[in-house]
Amino acid sequence: MLLVAAFGFFSYMAGSPKDAYGMVRYALPHMHRGTLKVGSDAPDARLVALDGTSRFHIREKTSGRPLVLVFGSFT
Amino acid sequence: MYVREAHPTDEWQMKSNVKDDVCYAQPKTLEQRVAIAQDFTKRYKYTLPFGIDDMSNEADAAYSAWPERLYVIDESGHIAYRGGMGPFNYKPAEVREWLAARYGAVKHGAPAATAASPNSAATGGTSAPATSTPESSTTPTK
Repeated sequence: MLLVAAFGFFSYMAGSPKDAYGMVRYALPHMHRGTLKVGSDAPDARLVALDGTSRFHIREKTSGRPLVLVFGSFT
Repeated sequence: MYVREAHPTDEWQMKSNVKDDVCYAQPKTLEQRVAIAQDFTKRYKYTLPFGIDDMSNEADAAYSAWPERLYVIDESGHIAYRGGMGPFNYKPAEVREWLAARYGAVKHGAPAATAASPNSAATGGTSAPATSTPESSTTPTK
């Protein structure tokens, strides 16, 4: 009963039962607060360029000026 | 910085994806991820430098990026701004404030094309010269 009530409340917050399920099933496992803070060393990572072949490191782009990283996806 | 899809058709698709005709399955290969990234840049005429996280999701893991997040890395390679987790705590205005505090406000012309939300995935560096005394602008970290 408590679980049903909790899911009902969660569905209301998410917008619909489908969205509540989607959030729990697909979103929550990938959401991480992480440990980085202002002042931390910026981690490096190797990325693929838009041509699908070339690769570069994040650190290659920081040379002497600030870098804005905008993480996201199309959908 | 393009990371794994947030609302693919085979996972948690939103009504807005259908409305905006942004319907893609979660990429299972790098080639699929690259293809979607290329679709994005073509559709919105996106010209800023662009990086794609490979299928190991290394960048996503390092920056806790998914579904969307903003960072500013300063000249010394340290994190100067760490935005909250998107979508609700994704705040480009905070990045603008940081940049304006560091380099002075920059006036922009009207954009030629607006990107749909969730936003673009790219890396970009500021080109504004330092015109004011740098101040570390502490912004909320989440």
